[in-house]
Amino acid sequence: MADTLTTDCALEVRDLSRTFGAHKALDKVTFDLPRGAFLSIFGPNGAGKSTLLKVLSTLTTPSKGTARVLGLDVVAESVALREQIGFISHNPLLYPDLSAEENLEFFAEIYCLENPKERIRELLVAVELDHRRLDLVRTFSRGMLQRLSIARALLHSPQIIFLDEPYSGLDPHAMDILDSLIAQIRAQHTFVMVSHDLAKGLELCSHALILAKGAVVLFDERDNIDADEFAATYRATVGMGVS
Amino acid sequence: MAASESSARISGWRQFKAILHKDIVMELRTKEMLTSMGLYALLVLVVYYIALSQAGQNFQVRQIAAGLLWLVFIFTSLLGLNRSLVHEKDQGCLDALLISPIDRPVIFFGKAVGNLIFLVIVEVFIVPLFYFIFLGGQSQAETGGPIWMITLALLVGSLGIAGVGTLLATMSVNTNGKDFILAVLFIPIMFPLLLTVVAATSAVLLADPGYATVFWKMMAAASGYDAIMLLAAYGLYEFVLGA
Repeated sequence: MADTLTTDCALEVRDLSRTFGAHKALDKVTFDLPRGAFLSIFGPNGAGKSTLLKVLSTLTTPSKGTARVLGLDVVAESVALREQIGFISHNPLLYPDLSAEENLEFFAEIYCLENPKERIRELLVAVELDHRRLDLVRTFSRGMLQRLSIARALLHSPQIIFLDEPYSGLDPHAMDILDSLIAQIRAQHTFVMVSHDLAKGLELCSHALILAKGAVVLFDERDNIDADEFAATYRATVGMGVS
Repeated sequence: MAASESSARISGWRQFKAILHKDIVMELRTKEMLTSMGLYALLVLVVYYIALSQAGQNFQVRQIAAGLLWLVFIFTSLLGLNRSLVHEKDQGCLDALLISPIDRPVIFFGKAVGNLIFLVIVEVFIVPLFYFIFLGGQSQAETGGPIWMITLALLVGSLGIAGVGTLLATMSVNTNGKDFILAVLFIPIMFPLLLTVVAATSAVLLADPGYATVFWKMMAAASGYDAIMLLAAYGLYEFVLGA
């Protein structure tokens, strides 16, 4: 098994394809992302962004090609890889009939963390939910759910964090809190974010990728990207329709 | 942390206990499954009572009691099985489990044992009620074989229902008509088990000469069915979750 410390690459994606029947959701996607980078993935609806995130986070398997995350193959070494992945979605991935603390305790057991109480308390304070730790999650607002979702994703100290439209449905205050949380952990983690928000995605990223019809239209470092040209390219992909 | 080091701390037993504990806590809090299963079972008994009250005084309920009893549990379990997986699909909680370092069979056993416990709880209330309503007031000689034999038949049957039902509920939870799909798959696949446990239960209730031989033959067949189907479910669960 590859050691996750031996590679400088966070993502190594080679000719990655994913088909659903006759529908090609991903078409020979190839790129490398260094550790510590923040990749923003853009594209119109149906471009394959969420499918790419699902393949990289081991939720689905590729039809062809390979993908290695932190040096681990997403198919052959999926169990080891899952220990290093944090996943934040627009869906909170939390049990509404458990309290905030019970949700984190449950996932701490699933990740078999040693002495998780301290870590749970620390994260609840970080996401400003310590005062609501005993309340059922079903009573939480959208912003609170997203903050707790971040605590869940960071509980096991993952090395790479996948974000699927994390700002979707958040009010400005909740967006500020999410920005602040990402800024706090930015230096120690690699991020891969799917977004429709060009301004927010470009503001956060070190690398950007545009997908259309399942294929890579553009992949480059943020420093090499002109925001206006990038926006024009992105708008052109919207006109290309879905994959 | 190296992947191989962190993998060593993962304990399937701890994860199994976490899933089971979470399901029990959520059920005790919401009482959704137990209430719906219990009420449904009671209503079926009421319908039986109305139907059998018109059957005439010479009609021996005992002749068909085993079939009636298992009919209650089959339809009641269908209600519970659907709900047990819907909890996981709500808010994307199943995805949160799938991106964690957990072997898929551990999820299966956690959910199946939870379903078994809830079904047994319903049986504990319904079986005495069934006896009281339909088999009460008969002489000692007519009360059939020992209670522990009935209990054993119920346990072996419930084990199969919970195991196979959990697999089928997982298959159907992503479909549009999940209630219908589960029922359509469940009854034909459970047919051999139903046949054997109804025969075993009937043998004990009627207590004809040589009933113990029939009982043990049927229990051996039912146990064999359980063993084969649970092994198949164990092997297939990863495929079913990935489909």
